Amino acid sequence: MKKIQVSHLSFGYHKENPVIHDASFSIEEGSYTTIIGHNGSGKSTIAKLMIGLLESDSGVITVDGLELSEANIHDIRDRIGIVFQNPDNQFIGASVADDIAFGLENHRVPSEQMQGIIEEFADRVNMRKFLNSEPTKLSGGQKQRVAIAGVLAMKPQIIIFDEATSMLDPQGKAEINALIQDIHAQSNLTIISITHDIEEVAHSDHVIVLDGGHIVLDGSPDEVLFHEQELIDLRLDIPYALKLQHALKRQGLETKPCTTMEGVVDELCRLRLKN
Amino acid sequence: MPITFKELTHEYNAGTPFAYLALDAIDLSITEGAITAIIGETGSGKSTLVQHLNALLLPTEGSLTVLDRTITATEKPKQLKELRKRVGLVFQFPEYQLFEETIAQDIAFGPKNFGMSEEEALSKAKEMLQIVGLSEDYLERSPFELSGGQKRRVAIAGILAMDPEVLVLDEPAAGLDPQGAKDMMELFVRLNKELHKTVLLVTHDMEHVLNYCDHVVVVDNGHIVQTSDKLHFFQDTSLLHKLRINPPAIIRLRDELNQRGFDLPCDILDTEVLAKAIADEVKHHE
Ligand SMILES: Nc1ncnc2c1ncn2[C@@H]1O[C@H](COP(=O)(O)OP(=O)(O)OP(=O)(O)O)[C@@H](O)[C@H]1O
Ligand SMILES: Nc1ncnc2c1ncn2[C@@H]1O[C@H](COP(=O)(O)OP(=O)(O)O)[C@@H](O)[C@H]1O
Ligand SMILES: [Mg+2]
Ligand SMILES: [Mg+2]
Repeated sequence: MKKIQVSHLSFGYHKENPVIHDASFSIEEGSYTTIIGHNGSGKSTIAKLMIGLLESDSGVITVDGLELSEANIHDIRDRIGIVFQNPDNQFIGASVADDIAFGLENHRVPSEQMQGIIEEFADRVNMRKFLNSEPTKLSGGQKQRVAIAGVLAMKPQIIIFDEATSMLDPQGKAEINALIQDIHAQSNLTIISITHDIEEVAHSDHVIVLDGGHIVLDGSPDEVLFHEQELIDLRLDIPYALKLQHALKRQGLETKPCTTMEGVVDELCRLRLKN
Repeated sequence: MPITFKELTHEYNAGTPFAYLALDAIDLSITEGAITAIIGETGSGKSTLVQHLNALLLPTEGSLTVLDRTITATEKPKQLKELRKRVGLVFQFPEYQLFEETIAQDIAFGPKNFGMSEEEALSKAKEMLQIVGLSEDYLERSPFELSGGQKRRVAIAGILAMDPEVLVLDEPAAGLDPQGAKDMMELFVRLNKELHKTVLLVTHDMEHVLNYCDHVVVVDNGHIVQTSDKLHFFQDTSLLHKLRINPPAIIRLRDELNQRGFDLPCDILDTEVLAKAIADEVKHHE
């Protein structure tokens, strides 16, 4: 089922200078979609249009078949959570605990359940020790953990992550990704992740590629990632798995093309044992 | 002269119930004229550490020597302005570095502040904007009406415009697109190799550490737990595991294959060499 449908969306911060051009795409319920593109290609702008924070110049966005408009903006915002690119733009509470609580209040969570939920999610992102700290005085990666906890705690049906783990150390990032995958697997959460991490893209269900406000590729990771030259021309990266396969080819070893590390390892082990 | 930290401690909100010991008596020496990566987990103290280099933060105890200056808890270095010109610091969140009405004015601010004429400073701004990969069209735009990655580029341009001797960058590639990150790292290498600038950068990207840096410093919970040259650092996989560092893709792949029966040498850090070793083994396996 289509969870979100975007048709012929156009937008400019200044009318004379459009930054999104006639964009159309749809997002399946329960899927993990990644959006990639060069700096300034329009990723964050599309995210803000989808939650109704910016108003489009033309085009239609529907969520669960409901057309985004002034009248049902609150209904739609109840379904979508977002983690902004700069977490400072989303903190409202004076402490980490207050901050998570604000979001829960907005989602009308009964106050007797709040404390439990706050502690559970602070724990899951490893920030329990910081519940009384001021969010703006945390380190960059800690801010990102808190922003993620706040959104997960509200249990929305859709979450948009705008480069939400860009300041986490690789190990921390792997832990947070595992947490998100876990919640994704257990619920029917629809995830949209704006990212520059090509390995994350290789593991997603669906990839949308933006270039100067135009959607230029849209499909499964395999459909998109094998457009290697095009991706490089778009200032993007290709997965390490593909880089290695090219190097192997130069050494006279042909492998079945694949975009993930696990895939290449399996393929190489198979070839080795076959010989 | 190296940059040296001597038993430097930094406690936030010292003497209050919110006191937080972010750096605990660290001793550290950073080679002049090299590129040093500062890595470590979220909240380990990396940003706190680098903000001491231009006296944005002062030590609670201990001292730090950078260029010919010594900075301690009680001695604010004289001529702070000159220090901040010679040691350029790009913040982790570039937003906090942008304040002028136009991007041109924003980048020109530093050079003007250090005595360059308006005209020279604006021409410098134009040059720097191009170096960080933004077109001239942006000069007259507001720095606040930019995408995240574009803001970071402008913040870096503003610091480069002052032509500092020591360049300190807190996660400079976070939010840059892959080509942008690569271009930026290559720019830092050029500034280091050609103009002999000392470069210190905080990063989480192990590919960047492997490909562009000379030395590695690992911070953990307010302590320095490791300083090594890059090659030794990445050859010791067990150390990486002990430090909870997720190695670069090439090492993960090599280790994964070795666990599954391959016998690939542990000093391979280059994809072409790895590919050759893999191909040899696949073809000659009996
Ligand atoms: N508040 C604003 N006012 C005017 N123009 C803006 C504003 N925010 C962004 N833009 C412009 O809109 C375009 C798209 O920006 P957007 O933030 O959507 O890019 P992005 O793909 O998220 O980039 P990044 O990877 O750098 O985060 C860019 O050209 C940018 O300069
Ligand atoms: N202004 C501040 N006030 C209080 N604590 C702070 C402040 N800035 C950072 N901290 C704390 O100090 C520790 C180290 O932070 P920081 O140096 O920013 O870490 P990182 O290694 O992620 O850059 C963290 O636990 C952080 O929460
Ligand atoms: Mg963005
Ligand atoms: Mg930091």
